[in-house]
Amino acid sequence: MNFMGDVIIGISDFNCSRKPDDVLVTYALGSCIAVVVFDPVAMVGGMLHFMLPDSTLDKNKASASPAMFADTGIPLLFKSCYALGAEKRRMIVKIAGGASILNDGDYFRIGQKNITAVRKIFWKNNVMIDGEDTGQNYNRTVRLQIADGKCLVRTSGGVVKEL
Amino acid sequence: MIERILLSIKQLPAFPATVQKVSELLRNEDYDVNAVVNVIKYDQGITANILKISNSAYFGVRQKIRSIHDAVIYLGQKNLLRALQTASVGRIFSKGTAGYGMKTRELWGHSVAVALMSQIVSRRIARREDATLYTAALLHDVGKLIMGEYVQESSQRIFALMESGKYSFLEAEEAVIGINHAELGGRVAVYWNFPPEIHDAIAYHHRPDRILSGDAMIPSLVYIADQFCLMMGIDGGMDGLAHRGISEVMHKYGLKEKDLEQSMLALYDELEQADELLRIVN
Repeated sequence: MNFMGDVIIGISDFNCSRKPDDVLVTYALGSCIAVVVFDPVAMVGGMLHFMLPDSTLDKNKASASPAMFADTGIPLLFKSCYALGAEKRRMIVKIAGGASILNDGDYFRIGQKNITAVRKIFWKNNVMIDGEDTGQNYNRTVRLQIADGKCLVRTSGGVVKEL
Repeated sequence: MIERILLSIKQLPAFPATVQKVSELLRNEDYDVNAVVNVIKYDQGITANILKISNSAYFGVRQKIRSIHDAVIYLGQKNLLRALQTASVGRIFSKGTAGYGMKTRELWGHSVAVALMSQIVSRRIARREDATLYTAALLHDVGKLIMGEYVQESSQRIFALMESGKYSFLEAEEAVIGINHAELGGRVAVYWNFPPEIHDAIAYHHRPDRILSGDAMIPSLVYIADQFCLMMGIDGGMDGLAHRGISEVMHKYGLKEKDLEQSMLALYDELEQADELLRIVN
């Protein structure tokens, strides 16, 4: 359900805001991951919905839509939040998504690869992940309320939890 | 409940004969444009849908299409057939109930995505597109349309079983309802007199490893296209990724992880062009 103030973030897309009325929302994360950041002092928040871990797959695509990949999308998300007044040391970082198919060890695990990619990027850049709801085999919808920085994850079964 | 569900198959409209008739006419390289136009014009619902989608960037026609006559001339054999298939299946979806807490338009969006993805994967594996595969992919979840009205009260129980981690979505459907949506879709395919490969593609779209005889190429490609779309989050309901992974299918067609990733990029581009196809079902 959409409300006024909902800013929808599509697949391979991102957005940042410091408008208290805004709620950043992304629907239907399968193996994709939402990276959610919030600076509680500047009251600036941002959300990225990336699809794949590594931009070397397609350099042209990566320059046209950097939010498609973890390694090009995450720096873009942070820089865009800095431009609105956020500071790295104050940013709270949360991730959700990265689901995988059931029990076949040999099967493509884009979800798992995406989770590993995010963790590695943050580890290299000395960023702590403050909240995480990843893996499993269900889809997720994620909302970030700019008014208070609250991040809500809803599973395809309808359960809502705060990250 | 299962008897009621099976009986309701008979309430489905017949599959439009237009598709079959036009396919036969198009098989002749020098097909008679007026004959094709006359067959399509006879079905108003399909005509309206074809006009809505013919100018889609997906078909890449430069001329403006304003009539069925224009569509037959400018779309060309392959795209005309594809527009007709999409328009016809779209009519059936328009009249259905998706169930599982989703809108019919969302189930249609998933179906179109799987149909486009099936062609992307077919181009990679077999270096060609395939009209039968396109129809099968578009219809793979048709069972959910029938199940739609019956599952409202069952969905919590289905989800509880899935959450236990021991049941796939399909197994949970079987346990709670007594039949899964793929098998039910297979019954619909029988009701519509579809050829065996379309029947199998629908009935086994989550378990192509269970097909015992015949060529499993089309069912396998529908399975692969469906899984790829589910991973992208273009889902068909509450099932998410709660499906059994069958890696042997990937091995059989030599698919690597990179193929999956590049197919996802290709679908992302195609969907941006295919907006009109998605909009024929509200």
